[in-house]
Amino acid sequence: MWSEKERQELDKILEKYPPDRKMSAVLPALYVVQRRKNYLTDDDIKDVAEALDVTVTHVHSVIGFYTLFRKEPTGKYMVQVCTDLPCALRGAEDFYHRLCERMEIGSHGGTTDDDLFTVEGVVCIAACDKAPCMQINLEFFESLTDDQIDEVIKRLRQGESLTAVAANY
Amino acid sequence: MSDQVTLTIDGKTVTVPKGTLIVEAAKQIEQEIPVFCYHGKLSQVGMCRMCLVEVGTPMFDRATREPVLDENGVQKIGFFPKPMTACTTPVSEGMVVKVDSGAALDDRKAVLEFLLTSHPLDCPVCDKGGECPLQDLTMKHGSGISRFNYEEKQHFPKKYPLGDLIVLDMERCVICTRCIRFQSEIAHDPVLAIENRGRHAHIVSYSDPPFDSHYSGNATDVCPVGALTTKDFRFGARSWEMKNVPSICNHCGVGCNTVLGTRKGGSGTGQLKRVMPRQNETVNELWICDKGRFGHHFNESPNRLTTPLIRQDGQLVESTWADVLPFIGEKISSIKSANGSTALGGIAGARLSNEDLYLFQKLFRQIIGSNNIDHRVGLNANFEDTTAYTVGVGVGTDLSQVGKGSTILVIGSDLDQEAPILYIRVAGASVKRSAHVINIGGRRTKLDAQAQTSAYYQYGTASYLVLGILASVVAQGLVNQEWIDRHATGFSEITKLLQDFAPDSVADTTGVSSAEIEAIAKSYAEAENGIIIFGHEAGNDPALGAAIEALAAVTGHAGKPNNGVIAVLPHANSRGAADMGVVPNRLLGYLPLEGEAGLSAEQMLSGNSIKGMIIAGADPASESDTYRECLQNLDFLVVQDLFLTETAQLADVVLPAKAVAERDGTFTNLERRVQTFDVGIDSPLLAWSDWLILAAIAGQLGADWGYASADGVMAEITQEVPLYQNMAFENLVAPVSLDRQTDHYIYEGMSFTADVHEGIQWATVAENEQQKITLQLVVPENHTGSDEITLVTPRILYDGGRLLAETDVVQSHVFQTRALLSSVDAKKLGLNNGDSVTISQNGTAVNLPIQISRMLNEGTILIPRNIEGRPAERLVGSSDVHASVKVKKS
Ligand code: SF4
Ligand code: SF4
Ligand code: FES
Ligand code: FES
Repeated sequence: MWSEKERQELDKILEKYPPDRKMSAVLPALYVVQRRKNYLTDDDIKDVAEALDVTVTHVHSVIGFYTLFRKEPTGKYMVQVCTDLPCALRGAEDFYHRLCERMEIGSHGGTTDDDLFTVEGVVCIAACDKAPCMQINLEFFESLTDDQIDEVIKRLRQGESLTAVAANY
Repeated sequence: MSDQVTLTIDGKTVTVPKGTLIVEAAKQIEQEIPVFCYHGKLSQVGMCRMCLVEVGTPMFDRATREPVLDENGVQKIGFFPKPMTACTTPVSEGMVVKVDSGAALDDRKAVLEFLLTSHPLDCPVCDKGGECPLQDLTMKHGSGISRFNYEEKQHFPKKYPLGDLIVLDMERCVICTRCIRFQSEIAHDPVLAIENRGRHAHIVSYSDPPFDSHYSGNATDVCPVGALTTKDFRFGARSWEMKNVPSICNHCGVGCNTVLGTRKGGSGTGQLKRVMPRQNETVNELWICDKGRFGHHFNESPNRLTTPLIRQDGQLVESTWADVLPFIGEKISSIKSANGSTALGGIAGARLSNEDLYLFQKLFRQIIGSNNIDHRVGLNANFEDTTAYTVGVGVGTDLSQVGKGSTILVIGSDLDQEAPILYIRVAGASVKRSAHVINIGGRRTKLDAQAQTSAYYQYGTASYLVLGILASVVAQGLVNQEWIDRHATGFSEITKLLQDFAPDSVADTTGVSSAEIEAIAKSYAEAENGIIIFGHEAGNDPALGAAIEALAAVTGHAGKPNNGVIAVLPHANSRGAADMGVVPNRLLGYLPLEGEAGLSAEQMLSGNSIKGMIIAGADPASESDTYRECLQNLDFLVVQDLFLTETAQLADVVLPAKAVAERDGTFTNLERRVQTFDVGIDSPLLAWSDWLILAAIAGQLGADWGYASADGVMAEITQEVPLYQNMAFENLVAPVSLDRQTDHYIYEGMSFTADVHEGIQWATVAENEQQKITLQLVVPENHTGSDEITLVTPRILYDGGRLLAETDVVQSHVFQTRALLSSVDAKKLGLNNGDSVTISQNGTAVNLPIQISRMLNEGTILIPRNIEGRPAERLVGSSDVHASVKVKKS
């Protein structure tokens, strides 16, 4: 169910599109509902479909296309490391596997035991020139070394805010 | 500039209309460009890259715009640096296309190698094997080996149920999106999509229930690989083993052309393996609905009647034809001599063929001497439709050609439920070809989403509304006087009566504003082509038919192709049953009966004057307790059917009949198109065709008919029924004209070889310069609005009919008995989904669980007809469509 506040937000979003093209608002609407739990439940998806007059199947299809939407619970911090070709050429793939191993979640991503971090490899996040690069939630971290990223993780574990940590990179 | 473009494809010159795609131009010179995602009936997406070709255009100097010439003075051709997709690139003047040359061949090979990187290559066990574009194109264009790392093949679950009729093998999918586009562009059920990307992309359906559509089977036909298969045919047969027999669907009045894929089984009897659409652009194009595709399994039901049964000491026991036939003869003769011929009556279901129905009326009228015959039980009791004979859609009407400049008025029909493929065609006329579709009904229906205009009337006022539209046509001066003078009489009389029905005066009664009525009148009258389609929910009201007939006539929308009226009748041969005069007050050709009319089905089954009956292919006992009692009290009842129906259980003699797939004959569809079906499979050993049973009974009564085949019966019909004079079998199976020849199956042709026909429509009065239509209006009964809730009882696709009940694979789709209620009413009554309500009317009450529906307006409750327990019929009776009821929580 849309809360009063979310409703208002949605109405604002919808103002930008012609009334018979509500479908265009799928992405922004999904961001609004994903904030509820940091991932999307069937009910959230249904809310979006009903509000925008599209099918549930269509909304799922959009979610599946974009890596920033999730249908599974994740850690508080979503660590997305680009492993696409240009970054991989600068060692990002190995960088990613090493990170996973240090965080003790195997080598192909996953969620840490304390449910704080979910690490995954993603395709291009448009920072190819500064590989290895990653995104934690909506903050960018670029030209990383192993030490730097360990530092980031440590500070977040200690409870510093993401914005504060990101300001240093 | 000319509208034609000339280009060269692999050295051959071809001239095609501007805008033609390269792939289509190539087809014309039989140069096959391989495709996967391209399909002539779907939008172009260019996403599989299979159709890559080299394209060049004549070179011009950029500065001077002068042609660039080579040393011989011939204009040079500049080739694009990259190959182009032939399925999305339109032709241009002087274009040069290379399909079978080096680069294009390499591209094709490479694309196939990519498509096959994760393909399981399990053709030997794949249902598509033998009729698979991927298999064929790989053989033709692919490389013999794969360089792809076997370990890195992408894996998906092997038999994923995409819906409960369709199984997905994602490993075989080439992500062409034909299935997705079919669902959203043709079926208008956008329930399929791709989830994820790249190698993880897969087809999903999240509708509730999954793959929620009446048309899901067509997705398996358009799928160019074996990714989508139907649940019932999986591993059923190899395509090359089957014999493909042309048939006609027997589930509704659309008359879709089908093919029966049959195979001789171990025991030597033919088995029906699958039903697929057979191309007929004028009826069903390339599609059939799921009821038509899956609803054939009743044929092999263990409950089929296999031998004649006779009642002995109160029990039905097995007997033989030799014993039962003389017995039937004796009983009928003795009732006739004791009580007179009018004590005998007959009901023949409208699923019987024209040949059966013709002999049925001949048996009763000529041999027994009774007019007590009817076909109208169940879904269309007492319905009289004369519009077909006067202003029915013109011969040559083809809804797939109706588009811009045409108006289609749909009145009181939920086409997606009542006549699914007609829905697809009307929706397509609107969405694809910009016809103006006006959907008028008592509630919202699926077509509203595709129609440009919708209007909602109060149930019971459709005739007022049509009279209002007619009055407005006259008032706005939009009548086609020239047409009226040539084809009709009585125009000035009806204009007088119309003064009482001006849009202003009917607006209150109908709930449709005068502005809406005027706009509808204008659009329909001014359209180049005008079609009216009216259905069950418009009501069973003589005023309606008369008004529709007059509306079509005064606007001149009759008597020519793509103009006229279609009544949406319920059964495969409802039209033919009327044509064959299986009506108490109509003779062959629906000509009025002079003298006293016989009794209608309803009269026969509610009075006590009838002592003996023959009921063929109908089950009135299941419909009402009154009918059942009446049948119990008969002195003698013969039933011929496929199953021991509730009516058959009351019979003295039960005769096993052949199903459609087991015999030949003709049906007349709701556009009056007469079409033949052939024998596909063997019947139970002792079952007979209905016409043969009727001829045998006539024989016992002294007739010497001597028909040897359905064909022979039709030969007599052509003599006796002028409308059918051209309907001899040899005409009906004439090959279709060349421009209707079907395409290769990698495009949009059929994957099997079977005869295609178009059938023949008979002509209406409007098409006959010698005859005139007598315009006459009927004043509708007074409509009294009520504050109570209106119960509506529409027909639905998956109802409780016996044929569906005997078909396991569709069971989960059959409507579970319940009532649908609008959310507003549910709130008022404090009801949630699943709560039970008591619905009462005039002393009859039924208890049903409710489901809250977003499609219903306030003040409406909906119970479909012909569902388990027949609650709708019990509340509104067999001929009405709606009633005011009381609803309370129980
Ligand atoms: S399932 Fe078939 S039709 Fe659908 S995308 Fe895959 S290959 Fe194409
Ligand atoms: S639309 Fe009617 S005739 Fe066509 S397949 Fe479906 S049930 Fe059969
Ligand atoms: S490829 Fe890694 S950010 Fe673009
Ligand atoms: S890209 Fe042309 S057929 Fe698929």
